[in-house]
Amino acid sequence: MREFNVLVVDDEQEFRDITIKRLEKRGLKVQGAESGEKALQILEHSYTDVVLLDVKMPGLDGIETLRRIRSMKPLVEVVLLTGHASVDSGIEGMKLGAFDYLMKPIELEPLLEKLADAFEKKRLHQDKIEQAQIKKNMSKPA
Amino acid sequence: MENNYYKRVWLRLIGVFSLLITVPVAILVLVTTNSLRDAAIEKVEISLGRLIEHKKDVITLYLKEKEDLLAMMVGMYPISYLGRQENLNTLFMAVNKTGSIVDLHVIDSSGKQLAYVGPYAQSLVGKSYHDAQWFQDVLIKGSHVSDVFLGFRKIPHFVVAVSDPLKTYVLRATINSEQFNKLLLSTQVGPHGDTFIVNRDGTLQTPSRAGLSELGNEDRLLLEHHEGTAIFQREEDVFVRGDDKVVDDSGGTSISTREESIVATRWVKDGQWCLFVKALIKDSLGPFHQVRNNIIMVIIATSVVFFAIAVLLINYFLKRIEGEDLRRTELGHQMVQMEKMATVGRLAAGIAHEINNPLQMITSQAEWIGELLPEEEPGKVKNLDEYLKAIAQIKQHVRRAGTITHRLLGFSRKISAEKENVRINELIEETISFVEKEAGYNNISIVRTYAEDLPGIMTDGPQLQQVFLNLINNAIDEVGQGGIIEIRTEVQDNKLIAEFADNGRGIKAENLKRIFDPFFTTKDPGKGTGLGLYISYDIVKKLGGTISVANRNSGGAVFSIVLPLTKPGSGR
Repeated sequence: MREFNVLVVDDEQEFRDITIKRLEKRGLKVQGAESGEKALQILEHSYTDVVLLDVKMPGLDGIETLRRIRSMKPLVEVVLLTGHASVDSGIEGMKLGAFDYLMKPIELEPLLEKLADAFEKKRLHQDKIEQAQIKKNMSKPA
Repeated sequence: MENNYYKRVWLRLIGVFSLLITVPVAILVLVTTNSLRDAAIEKVEISLGRLIEHKKDVITLYLKEKEDLLAMMVGMYPISYLGRQENLNTLFMAVNKTGSIVDLHVIDSSGKQLAYVGPYAQSLVGKSYHDAQWFQDVLIKGSHVSDVFLGFRKIPHFVVAVSDPLKTYVLRATINSEQFNKLLLSTQVGPHGDTFIVNRDGTLQTPSRAGLSELGNEDRLLLEHHEGTAIFQREEDVFVRGDDKVVDDSGGTSISTREESIVATRWVKDGQWCLFVKALIKDSLGPFHQVRNNIIMVIIATSVVFFAIAVLLINYFLKRIEGEDLRRTELGHQMVQMEKMATVGRLAAGIAHEINNPLQMITSQAEWIGELLPEEEPGKVKNLDEYLKAIAQIKQHVRRAGTITHRLLGFSRKISAEKENVRINELIEETISFVEKEAGYNNISIVRTYAEDLPGIMTDGPQLQQVFLNLINNAIDEVGQGGIIEIRTEVQDNKLIAEFADNGRGIKAENLKRIFDPFFTTKDPGKGTGLGLYISYDIVKKLGGTISVANRNSGGAVFSIVLPLTKPGSGR
């Protein structure tokens, strides 16, 4: 299991705490945010690979947060997780660029798998960017 | 009971229409027949009036003729000639061809008889007429016609006498009035009518056909009151002068219409005699009755026809109204049902929302325990196995609860309801393959009757498969050992139909309506969620189709799914 950085965004503290605890036991670096605004703040200053985002939150709701994350940090992958699910918000999320959409209750294994897949996508993407960068540098005269 | 209500309305309508038709018709018939009768009577009155005028003319002519005859004789022969018996004889034989003249008398101005021809010769010898009223009258007026009297051999006679212009003598003839009577009796006044003449005193001058020997009281009253041209109507046994109404132009005729008869009277012979013509109303109204009966029949026939039409119309419209009412009631029921479903759906979704979060917590915490337990020393933890088993159970139940809430919220692995070209027969086959093993264990046979060349349709395959799976699973649960499930596809009326039938117990009538309600199940608690059909209903509706259920005549239930035939843009 690769080590990567996760941000858990959910207004329910108990859920945040247990999820962070469990993910960290599995070797991930995890941070938590109780609201969309807080999440954006953390993303600005901390290095994050994958965001686990709850759709229904007071204040800045999940979809709006998603929009801002995608515009602020386009490489960061977002996995939507929520108990207030409907097919429509799922479709909207996917359209806005979420990696996937998960429903509570979900067990840890499937969640981990999904986060790992999201990270994998980011990593591949970043590799490609680096490759392109290298090629660009190589073509320039020293 | 609705049936009774419509019956009552029908009865009321029929009753009202019957009244509406019969009352005016009855009034119409009454008014028409009365008017017709009055018109008929008036006709009779008029014709009687004409008749009596005609008779009057005839009588007047007859009397005049006789007077003229005598006047001619007086004018032609002087008294010296006429006074001689043998001359009178010759004259008598010449003028009496018809035998209507009974005798001839020549009387001088003093009343002494000069000559006589006739059967009374003996009794008149030496008689003097000087004092007789009639003699005086002749000398003054120049002519005289007497009343009728019974003369020789009881034959009715009357006397005509004229004097010469110089009033020196009088020629008198006795006329046999039988001929005169015949003239009167030829009047056509029906079998019960009567025609006669009376004098001022009311004594009959001619025989009455009805056999009257003297004038009746009513007629006597007429006699006394007849003046000019008034028409009398009978009103409470008193003759009252009615409106002045001229019956005909010449005037002088009075017509009196009683309940049963019409009587016309006319003075003749300068007001000395009164002519009576009577007609019985019922005799004259023969043609009227004919016409009246025809009219009544026509009116009745027409009203019957119209009544029949009315009844037909009432029936038709009442049936239409009944149908409309039924449709409206059904629509109302449907609306209520839809409202119910929508409310329950919303309710269910709302609850599901709230439950998912606690579920997540339960499973997260349980898993956490399960993850940490193995790190304990196995010796130290006595019931480690039990704990792990319990945790496994907790997770299982959370999964189960999650399935329910997810299904309620319409969540499926594939979020977007993508439309793709789906071949239904193959989809069903694939679905059957999921359950083949289970069906095989229970000796359940699945009979397929697929329509060949079933066109592919644009729809959501996985969701549709979910529906098929639900129906097949329900059927398997229902039929049990050795049961038969029949699946059929066909195209009808530009729609695709897929039917899933089983030979189980069928569905109770009261449940047929509720079977698609959420949480409705006939299975034991814990065995069914009651959501399968609700979600299937929802899916089929979203795909633009309908799903319905019915009990088969051959036993068991059949679910029918009807989908629109939306062809793929590019055919396969």
